[in-house]
Amino acid sequence: MNATIALQMAGADFLKLRKKRSTVIWALVLAVAPLVIYYIFKGVQHSSNPEAHGPAGGLHGYEDALPVLALFFGPLAAIMIGTDAGAGDLAAGVFRDLVVTGRSRVALFAARVPAALGLCWLVMLVAYAVMVVGTYALASGTPTPGGALVINGLLFTLFATGIVCVVAVGFSSLVGSRPAALTALIGWQLIASRILENIESLGSSRRLILSQAITHFSPIFVGDHHGPRGGSTVTMSTATAVIVSLVWIVVFLALGVWRTRRMDA
Amino acid sequence: MDTSSTPAIETVGLTKRFGERAALDGIDLQVPRGVAFGFLGPNGAGKTTIIRTLLGLTPASAGTMHVLGYPVPAQRAQALQRVGAIVEEPRFHMHLTGRENLRIVAAVRAPETFARIDPALARVGLADRAGEKVKSYSMGMRQRLGVARCLLADPLLLILDEPTNGLDPGGIQEFREMIREMVEQEGRTVFVSSHLLDEVEKTCDAAAIVDRGKIVTQGAIAELADGGGARHELILGVDDVDRALGVLGASELVAEARPADEGIRLVLAGEPQTAAQVNAALVGAGVGVTRLEPVRHSLEQRFLQITQRLDSNLAPEEVKA
Repeated sequence: MNATIALQMAGADFLKLRKKRSTVIWALVLAVAPLVIYYIFKGVQHSSNPEAHGPAGGLHGYEDALPVLALFFGPLAAIMIGTDAGAGDLAAGVFRDLVVTGRSRVALFAARVPAALGLCWLVMLVAYAVMVVGTYALASGTPTPGGALVINGLLFTLFATGIVCVVAVGFSSLVGSRPAALTALIGWQLIASRILENIESLGSSRRLILSQAITHFSPIFVGDHHGPRGGSTVTMSTATAVIVSLVWIVVFLALGVWRTRRMDA
Repeated sequence: MDTSSTPAIETVGLTKRFGERAALDGIDLQVPRGVAFGFLGPNGAGKTTIIRTLLGLTPASAGTMHVLGYPVPAQRAQALQRVGAIVEEPRFHMHLTGRENLRIVAAVRAPETFARIDPALARVGLADRAGEKVKSYSMGMRQRLGVARCLLADPLLLILDEPTNGLDPGGIQEFREMIREMVEQEGRTVFVSSHLLDEVEKTCDAAAIVDRGKIVTQGAIAELADGGGARHELILGVDDVDRALGVLGASELVAEARPADEGIRLVLAGEPQTAAQVNAALVGAGVGVTRLEPVRHSLEQRFLQITQRLDSNLAPEEVKA
């Protein structure tokens, strides 16, 4: 298979995703709506009592909003997109029609990843743009983040959501059912990993939790500003964070490929 | 590798087991090129399983397969390059238009496939509706879109699994005509699985009858219908049945004769041309012959005969034509 066909296939998978209105709308809602609600809420607080409540924007507002997007709601949007990319062909019943073209199943799986990342990052760019506009428009004369932080924040957002999106593609390909994959991943992201990362008796094994590794790369401190770098609840080196992130990606991609190759289409 | 002289499909000892149950039990099948070939059998006989196995949707448990001359699964990609297939009902991304659904499959095939999208849509009469979402299509339109998807491969071999399911009589007729055109005008091979005898008889040149995972018989439709040419039956109308039966009973030309509603049914001992001699013998004995008509067996009669005999626990070899 040459690069032209690989691009064609990724483009076709992107077409499937971007035309699915429910997925695109819900991903946008998940990524953008919390930011808008945050700005409205903080804006109302600030305008009603400026001395007690700082402005919604500015550097402080940016530091509050970035984790909301990159570590919480952005990954949920990424899960929505990733699970759709991973199990969409199976759900529609067209996987077998793609298999009977003779194209390898690995290639069919591989095309899902760039397509999912493309849509995920497009949604994140929109949400990040909303965040940056809010940060500067609602600063009320307070300090604002510099260009370097804005770029680092964008890269961090794309990195954090991208990893979750790829894991979601692999996991939903493994499970073969989008509703099941969606439920499991949201449950993990919202509940299980939050609980596990706060169980101190687990000690350094908490480094294996993906959100901990991702948080390590945050350009701002998340949480109470007294924890390890980035605000993760467990200290780890950058090398460890990289390895943990890579392991999550490789393991779930491998599982997705394995299942896609082995399943009866 | 030149594979143009090989059969379109060839399997030897093809077996597929689900646990202890054999869905395909040593299938030896040969589908020649340039014909419409029916794969006929009751529901659950193994028709879809053989298609799924040939296409690599599920692995075989034993045996060998060649599609368009290429061994499968070893050279599956080359084998399926010029194969179009509809397995069970055609499925699509409902949120996409007909044309977009074809773009999805074209992207998976070679780059030049995109140029075949519009001609394929026109070929199946969907050019005007190609911009509409598939969820608004009728069952018949989806079937036609499925065929258009097959045509993207410019197929030498089309594999259609129960293609007329869900179609109205007009749609079935259209579909039959389309298959015949593909075979006669475009030189393609069409492999049609069906449980509908009438459909196979009207559409196909040759067929295999499958039951409980085994090929019971295969050959040209006419051969299958008359039991492989072994029995030539006639209906006789005569003015004196008893006298005629006496003449026929003494004749070496007749293997069997018995009274029937229409007059007499007889089975010739030799070739069909000996019917004229039988007629002459009757006339010579003073029997007035008012009707002499060869019995044309339908595939349905043959199929029922075979399956009834199978139900009596006869081995498939014993009923082979």
